[in-house]
Amino acid sequence: MKKFLPLLALGLLAGCTTILETGDKLERGMTPPDAVNYATTKPEGGFSTQLSDNRIGNKIELLAARKSKTDGGYTRVQFDLRNGAYLRQTINVSFEWLAADGTVTESQPNWIVTPLEPGALTTVTATALKAQSAECRLRLISR
Amino acid sequence: MNKLSLLACAVFIVGCGTPATYKDPQGRELVVSLDKVNIQDFATAGSQMLQSMISSPSFSKGAPVLQLGSITNDTADNFDTALLLSKLTVPLVNANRVTLLDNDATANAARATSGSNANVPRAEYVLKGKILEDRSNAGSTRQSSFVFQLTLVEVKRGVAVWTEEKIVTKQGTKNAVGF
Repeated sequence: MKKFLPLLALGLLAGCTTILETGDKLERGMTPPDAVNYATTKPEGGFSTQLSDNRIGNKIELLAARKSKTDGGYTRVQFDLRNGAYLRQTINVSFEWLAADGTVTESQPNWIVTPLEPGALTTVTATALKAQSAECRLRLISR
Repeated sequence: MNKLSLLACAVFIVGCGTPATYKDPQGRELVVSLDKVNIQDFATAGSQMLQSMISSPSFSKGAPVLQLGSITNDTADNFDTALLLSKLTVPLVNANRVTLLDNDATANAARATSGSNANVPRAEYVLKGKILEDRSNAGSTRQSSFVFQLTLVEVKRGVAVWTEEKIVTKQGTKNAVGF
């Protein structure tokens, strides 16, 4: 009997995951397509966010945004993300670069699929190609 | 009457198809194929390679002279490897981060025409690479991995100064639309 208990618990856990995943799929199916969310670095440090899809806010935490310069003087940013949900999340990220006056200088032409394990910290990094790119706008979408 | 019913059914079935529409090549409604490299796969691998390459010390300052070497397509899919290279060269050239040397024949012709006064730069770096694939399946679930490998060789010393590998893996039972 003792041998069966862990197996039973494992089976139950696997079942729970399936139920949670199905719930997640249903929730997605019943709501409009996910919207794009933004996190933009500030000249004085830190970042501001624009959350268009509240569901992503409940699952993904944006912990920090670090800005530095490369040896050649180009801006480099790192955003720390944490999956606060109990399920693995897959988000898609993309970067846009802004000049000091706010004009868009560079735009990444694609989404990068970024899997996030539950509780895992993930750092996404981008380096500007142009010297005038001063601030970075991270675009996030959950599917 | 029967003929008319059949015709009506046929029209109905044809009408159910999805008409072709234009899609944003950078968007999230593109076809994801399990058996081939999709256009968005080149974009994903290319942009990640680009980010890695510009972080290498060779690209920290100035605009080094770059020549494109060969990119071997070692997959069963037939495509032009320029689809990958352009994802790196277009942003680099437009941002003045590299001086892209045209092919050998053009450079040699320019040197021959201008003689000793030729102002044709010599390549400092050569970019070469390989694209490979790996396929596996479990039951009806198929998985395809496409491996993009690039190496930057410093011509003067003949040594690799940067190398990167990016893998794009797709899994499913059939082709789909979207992420």
